[in-house]
Amino acid sequence: MITLYPKRLFKFPVGAEYISPDVFAEKSTKEIATLQLWEGNRRRTIGDLFKIKHETGSPSDEVTIRICGDVSKVRKIGAKMSMGNIIVEGDAGMHLGEEMNGGVITVTGNADSWTGSMMKKGTIEIKGNAGDYIGASYRGSTKGMNGGKIVIHGNAGYEVGCFMRKGLINVYRNVGQFAGIHMRNGTIFIQGNSEGRAGAQMINGKIVVCGYIPSILPTFTIDNIRPKVKVNGEKVEGPFYRFIGDLADEGKGKLFVSKNRNPHLNSYEEYLRYSV
Amino acid sequence: MTVVTGVTCPVCGTFCDDIELVVKDNVITDARKACAMGAAKFLNYATHRNLKPLVRKNGELVEASIDEAIGKAAKILADATYPILYGWSNTSCEATRVGLELAEEVGGVIDNTSTVCHGPSILSIQDVGIASCTLGQLRHRADLIFYWASNPWSAHPRHIERYTMFSEGRFQKSTWRGYLSRLRGIVSRKRLQRAANLVLRRDVFAAPEVERRLPYSMFQKKRKMVVVDVRKTRTAEAADYFLQVEPNKDYELLQAFRMLIKDEELDVDKVAGVPVEILEEVADIMVGCELGVLFFGLGLTMSEGKLRNVDAALNLTRDLNQRTKFLIMPMRGHYNVTGVNVVFTWQTGYPYAVDFSHGYPRYNPGETSVIDILCNDEADASLIVASDPVAHFPRMAAQNLVKNPLIAIDPEVTPTTLMADVVFPSTFVGIETEGTAYRMDHVPLPLKKIVEPPKTCLPDQEILQRILHKVRKLRGNLN
Amino acid sequence: MDIAVKDGKIVEKVDERKAEVVDASGMIVMPGGVDIHCHIAGAEVNSGRLLRPEDHVKDVEVKTALTRSGVGYSIPSTFTTGYRYSRMGYTTVMNPSMPPLEARHTHEELDDTPMVDKATYPLLGDWWFVLEHLRDDLIEECAAHVAWMMTATKGYAIKIVNPGGLEAWGFGRNVKNLDDSVPHFNITPREILRGLCKVNKLLNLPHTIHVHTNNLGKPGNYITALETMKCVEDLAEGKRPVIHITHCQFCAFKGSDWQTMSSGAEEIAKYVNHHDHATLDMGQVIFTDTTTMTADGPFQYGLYTLTGNKWVNHDVETETTSGIVPFRYKRKSAVHATQWSIGLELALLIKDPWKIYMTTDHPNGGPFTAYPTIIAWLMSRVARKKTLSRISKRARRKSLLPSIDRELSFYEMAIVTRGGQAKALGLTEKGHLGVGADADVAIYNVNPEQVDPSKKYKTVRKAFKRAAYTIKGGEIVVKDGQIVRSVFGKTFWVDIKTSLPMEVNDDLKRKFREYWTVEYENYPIPDSFLHVPAPISVKAEV
Repeated sequence: MITLYPKRLFKFPVGAEYISPDVFAEKSTKEIATLQLWEGNRRRTIGDLFKIKHETGSPSDEVTIRICGDVSKVRKIGAKMSMGNIIVEGDAGMHLGEEMNGGVITVTGNADSWTGSMMKKGTIEIKGNAGDYIGASYRGSTKGMNGGKIVIHGNAGYEVGCFMRKGLINVYRNVGQFAGIHMRNGTIFIQGNSEGRAGAQMINGKIVVCGYIPSILPTFTIDNIRPKVKVNGEKVEGPFYRFIGDLADEGKGKLFVSKNRNPHLNSYEEYLRYSV
Repeated sequence: MTVVTGVTCPVCGTFCDDIELVVKDNVITDARKACAMGAAKFLNYATHRNLKPLVRKNGELVEASIDEAIGKAAKILADATYPILYGWSNTSCEATRVGLELAEEVGGVIDNTSTVCHGPSILSIQDVGIASCTLGQLRHRADLIFYWASNPWSAHPRHIERYTMFSEGRFQKSTWRGYLSRLRGIVSRKRLQRAANLVLRRDVFAAPEVERRLPYSMFQKKRKMVVVDVRKTRTAEAADYFLQVEPNKDYELLQAFRMLIKDEELDVDKVAGVPVEILEEVADIMVGCELGVLFFGLGLTMSEGKLRNVDAALNLTRDLNQRTKFLIMPMRGHYNVTGVNVVFTWQTGYPYAVDFSHGYPRYNPGETSVIDILCNDEADASLIVASDPVAHFPRMAAQNLVKNPLIAIDPEVTPTTLMADVVFPSTFVGIETEGTAYRMDHVPLPLKKIVEPPKTCLPDQEILQRILHKVRKLRGNLN
Repeated sequence: MDIAVKDGKIVEKVDERKAEVVDASGMIVMPGGVDIHCHIAGAEVNSGRLLRPEDHVKDVEVKTALTRSGVGYSIPSTFTTGYRYSRMGYTTVMNPSMPPLEARHTHEELDDTPMVDKATYPLLGDWWFVLEHLRDDLIEECAAHVAWMMTATKGYAIKIVNPGGLEAWGFGRNVKNLDDSVPHFNITPREILRGLCKVNKLLNLPHTIHVHTNNLGKPGNYITALETMKCVEDLAEGKRPVIHITHCQFCAFKGSDWQTMSSGAEEIAKYVNHHDHATLDMGQVIFTDTTTMTADGPFQYGLYTLTGNKWVNHDVETETTSGIVPFRYKRKSAVHATQWSIGLELALLIKDPWKIYMTTDHPNGGPFTAYPTIIAWLMSRVARKKTLSRISKRARRKSLLPSIDRELSFYEMAIVTRGGQAKALGLTEKGHLGVGADADVAIYNVNPEQVDPSKKYKTVRKAFKRAAYTIKGGEIVVKDGQIVRSVFGKTFWVDIKTSLPMEVNDDLKRKFREYWTVEYENYPIPDSFLHVPAPISVKAEV
């Protein structure tokens, strides 16, 4: 296990795509210390910014990187990693686990925006809150998250799962507007409330909102009332209103919204009487 | 006394180039054809200006030589670890090109006013694309004009007379006379309403009733204007139809239109406070027009939904092209914000929020945009050109901006120059200095030099060139 | 054989004791590359750049002491474009599409494209003044107005795209064939092509009319390409070409729909082999994710409906249109693979290399950085066979390539990538290494006497990717594929002298406000606007 202690609180953005088990594997402490980083526009090394403790003889062959401290300005931690573990004991910066292809990242504090963007495999678990664009694509691209799992124990921000294609995003608490916008497929499980506009312009996929949502987009149509819904193999108790949309994009996505937490939506039930 | 014709007005995105200025003894005495904003600039630009370079010493701004100011500015930028270079929209493309070179040299972030204005529009264009044109196409061909979340009567005063309703095109006529007669009706109706309110002691400020039916003029074969807004603006009063949308509900309305124009039914009775029957009629008119255009403004980019409001509008336009010819255009604010986006894009690949700190251009609004950088307190120096962020930025951003070394290049005294550590008095582009700028529809036009500037003021381009030269010297990079 | 260079020109000889000697033994020496058609600057290209941040992140260029930074795979930023061309040994590039109203934009970007000489072609095929004059059969008036426009926009040649179709697109329509009438203007594409061909001759322009045909990208359009070449056949004089059909691959489709689509290259090659009045460039497709951008608004809209990709449209008042759609060419798509085959078939079946030039219509068929790959395909059957084995079976069965043995020689490649292009453009000082030519030289590290390109195509490809030396205007600017000196090239434009310029000026002044939303005096580009202008004086016969 390799532990990194930030030597100070960072003010400038730190570009840290080399903090990854793939890169650290089979390297000595000295070699790790010389790996390059950016701090603002200055070239630095990991050794410049972090104190490194290398505990040899760990039981498994897997590389584990532990980061202890506030690294909320350190970006791209775990980017493109395909194996191993990263544990951040503190707050993590933007682009955590971007394009990840395997392994596990755990954050005890909060994470920032673009966590797990474009990831393909692996697991990211955030104990605190996360920012916007979780599991999203890059600007201009339709290729968002394509597999793997992101679990957020706190709240998440806007546009969670933007252009998502596969995988699971599980938010224990609330999300901002536009969860699942432009979704191609995959599952977004919101155990708390949504600020609204969930499933906007989605083509396919599944969004489940267990809490309150102020309204449903006019381009969604009510399909059914379901007693339960399956999320990642497990059954979640409803009852849920099931909406299909986004019809403006000829979408066939499914939006499940809790019936009991959203009594203001019961006017939709009259449309069910006419459905065959 | 001379009359200078074909002057381009350096104020708003309408970028009129037919202004005629009367000049006497190096002073502009009259601005013909200019709107109130243009006339205000041409006639009053010299009133609050900086005439000398200033440097802050012991907490006070004192006059300094240009060389001293250049030296101090260059040192601030060369030493900075994450400097920001912001503004640009009120100066020329030529100056912007030097700015980009400087930002690349110092490894900083260069951003322009799109970041607080139509940045969201650009983000959505990058996802959807945009079906647009030059303004002349609309003057010649458009018979259905939407101003959505935009109020040209106040913000782009000559837009309607130059490019849309009151302009004469090859295939479409001006509706000026129709408007005049309607205006008389509107004014007298208002008077009667006010009188009735007084007599009957009605609440004068009650919201107007939503017009249940579209007026007859909407079904006639002539140019028609529809205004969609949260309140009845002056533009809305001149429109053939005013569609009042609930605040922050434009996204739902635009998405609903996308279904209605495909003759699909909605599950709801009302969207954004408007009954669906009315929306269906509007959708019919959209589909039945010869060429429609949707102009949109900050009402979409800065209300809830932001870029996704624009996303929906761009998609609606694109969908409409399956049935008829429909185009869309953002109403750009500053006269050269489009030009600045254009220059940024050809030199760096990206239109705003460009980060050079790793030696090549990187782009991610939300991360490399100036407001976010400032709110996160990540910058340690700034160069502000042709802009006034201390007056306009969110409080937290402005606070973090002024606590670091701040260099300002501006012709006028502004809150930003008052808080700066180095101030350069520059010339007014389009009045005292030549240049190139781009209209809101991407048409490039020349900016003219009309009068001589004061001797102590230099063009932005030259000030930036000198700072760049000094920075290179400090870093030993001269070649 | 030695080549002597002095003051930017190739001369008979120089004093060897005082000269810098470049030892090119064991390497092939060619004139600097000339690209007759590549979209690198202007409104349409820049909108493409803005549209594709996701394409830029794939490919970045870090700032160095000599070079500016940049980005971009299919649509590089301007500095990167110049450097990349130079590293491949190219020294002259032509931007083929310029909306005249936005000419200033094109020239600003060309000025920021280092290392190469350049020029640009204003789009005139749907200009209202052209349509009205040709409709009324006023060829000389048309010529005078075109001359004004060419000078006002600092253009080099008459560009015609989907003649008539762009004006129709103003209201969302298109034209179907050469005899379809353009709505509101009562003129046909045939009349536009013939009219502008006559105008081109009257103006004595160095290049011919440069034509993107009607019906681009439609199965069965090879007939339109043939008709387009036939319709000006009678206007030819002697062996001089009067028309250039650009990116011919895109208009060489046989068949009636995408299922039956196949190659029409054989028919087109047959025609071109028997006629001398037309030149072509390939428009070769590469299997990659690229960006299509042309002035053909309706065609680009069609691509959007086909792919569902993001779509940019920009109609320019009084003049033209444009459209941009990202596009991925897939090996396993029968249609795309057939397109790939068509480009190569055209180049190999047309016998005279002076008639067909190598381009990808960058970035439409693929980025210009793929040129070395195309060179390998043209010079080696084995290289073609290898690619053929990986493409769609249906396309492989239909392809003519397995039956084509021909492999271009180094000499023929030099014509197809520089000599022929320069000649077609009328650039007498480019594309050859004779005395008097501009000293634009490319030296590639492959020995033509020892290396058999047919077998060692990989060596050839590598050599052409990174020039051993690129010499621009007599200065060494690239060494071993690295920029060693940053220079800025010239912008060519034709300065046409007509006999009655004042009359045209007055006519335009009167009508300007009716037609455009800008003032007459703000339209023309002043001579001082270009950083390094290189006007070519031409005396018109009108």
